[in-house]
Amino acid sequence: MFTPEKTDISIGFMPLSDCAPLVVAEKLGFFQQNNLNVQLVRQNSWATLRDKLLAGYLDMAQMLAPMPLAMHLGLGSSAQDMTVPMILSYNGNGITLSNALFAEVQQAGDESAAQLLSEPLSAQRLSIIAKERRSQGQKKLCFAAVFPYSCHYYQLVSWLQQGGLSADDVDIRIIPPSGMVQALAENEIDGFCVGSPWNAAAVRAGIGATVIASCEIWHNTPEKVLGLTRAWQAQHPQSLFAVIDALKKACQWLASKPNRFEAARWLAEPEYVGSSLDSVAPALLDSCLTTEGVDCREIKGHTLFQVPQKLNQPTPEQGIWLLQQMQRSQHLPRDTDLHQVIRQVYTTERYDDAPR
Amino acid sequence: MAQDDHSQPLCVLLIDDDPQRATELSAALDKSRYQVKHMLGAEVSLLKQVDTLQPDVIIIDIESPSRDILDSLHTLNSFNPKPIVMFSEQEDTNTINQSVHSGVSAYVARDVSTTRVRAIMDAAVARFQQMQSLRNQLQETQQELASRKIIEKAKGLLMENRNLSEKEAYQVIRKMAMDNGLRMDQVAKNMIDIITTLSV
Repeated sequence: MFTPEKTDISIGFMPLSDCAPLVVAEKLGFFQQNNLNVQLVRQNSWATLRDKLLAGYLDMAQMLAPMPLAMHLGLGSSAQDMTVPMILSYNGNGITLSNALFAEVQQAGDESAAQLLSEPLSAQRLSIIAKERRSQGQKKLCFAAVFPYSCHYYQLVSWLQQGGLSADDVDIRIIPPSGMVQALAENEIDGFCVGSPWNAAAVRAGIGATVIASCEIWHNTPEKVLGLTRAWQAQHPQSLFAVIDALKKACQWLASKPNRFEAARWLAEPEYVGSSLDSVAPALLDSCLTTEGVDCREIKGHTLFQVPQKLNQPTPEQGIWLLQQMQRSQHLPRDTDLHQVIRQVYTTERYDDAPR
Repeated sequence: MAQDDHSQPLCVLLIDDDPQRATELSAALDKSRYQVKHMLGAEVSLLKQVDTLQPDVIIIDIESPSRDILDSLHTLNSFNPKPIVMFSEQEDTNTINQSVHSGVSAYVARDVSTTRVRAIMDAAVARFQQMQSLRNQLQETQQELASRKIIEKAKGLLMENRNLSEKEAYQVIRKMAMDNGLRMDQVAKNMIDIITTLSV
């Protein structure tokens, strides 16, 4: 039995498909079984989610994997000792180009859209276009990510670099996930890196082509994590045990594909993601919509809620790797002691053997 | 900040989905130095608006999805930071003001009385200017330290390679800077580049 110090717990989340573990734990009564009264509180922006956690209005939150690291280092907010006791999801993002840019990519070669989209697109195809624009003094290609300290931002930079483009060759701006489709439709941006359901939503709206999934840029890396302050963890160890146990059961349940479809139906409800099932479901079912009139692509492990062996346990290697990505984008000073940060943030305590 | 600043008109960009509150706020700030321009929160062209209007202050609802766009003004250095005032649904804004130091200059309760709005805005602008000037000072100090280090290094290289005294080396750098209309640290950097390339 769990004997949580605090039973009323508020957890912040963003309306994205990978909030599934939280929704499943609520719907299947896993929180309740652990004597918790959890309130899931939907947020509209990552910055506000962060500020509310720092002010204590939220006890913990679903966070972008680099966020607790940035908060710990005082990047974008005051520095606060943070801890990451659990990975909530791996992979799940994708890069979508506007129809106009995708048409340009197509013109540069002689493949059909279907041929081009049958495998992940290399950014090398873009580098010709980006360089041409620069030499002709035209506007740079403009991409959007959801938050500066996000996997989306660093995945976009990685993909561009793999294709021989530097972050300086393009403009990268920040747009909230829910604004991406409109920004692409209005040609405000040429492409974006975002999580489900927004890539599928852009394809369904007939305004873009999803050219690569994030697991094809980075293999099985943490996407969303459970983040909270060290102070909260120290004051409520049993409550945290109880929350993690419930969320792990939810992630276990989500390992089954048929269950993930059921989860997609819940996620589509207005109080969670509030998008149509036909946009929410594909990424959870290993399907990547490509573009209007072209077949979907099957991507095994498109969105994962556990990985083999490590399951949901954060490892120091993952943390270091994320910090290195932040450093590559000059978000972190060169002389930051990465190992020390990870020793502090990535909890060494294992939550496998929760007391019963 | 000097008292004179209070007479200077300031452009306020208000991002809010609630038209009634927008009207109230504009009324509260009427005949003050603040001139309010209103836009709805859902508009994606926010950055474009910020770019064209060049507002002196931005007011936004804490629940607006556009919050992340504004937050990036502070973290991505391609934009100039602006003072940001945020409406919060919590009545007690002390906690959030004390514990959170993000790019936000002040959090104010959503139903703040119109009489207090002006005072809150003044305080937020003053606080932002104070933070900016601290930040600028820090940057200047860092810059100065960095250039001093570069000049020292160039001096050392000159002394070693040209057999000059410290004073002579300093004068060589200073003369070259004056002749070419460059700063001494710029000249020093060029010298270091040339000397190290030649000696490889």
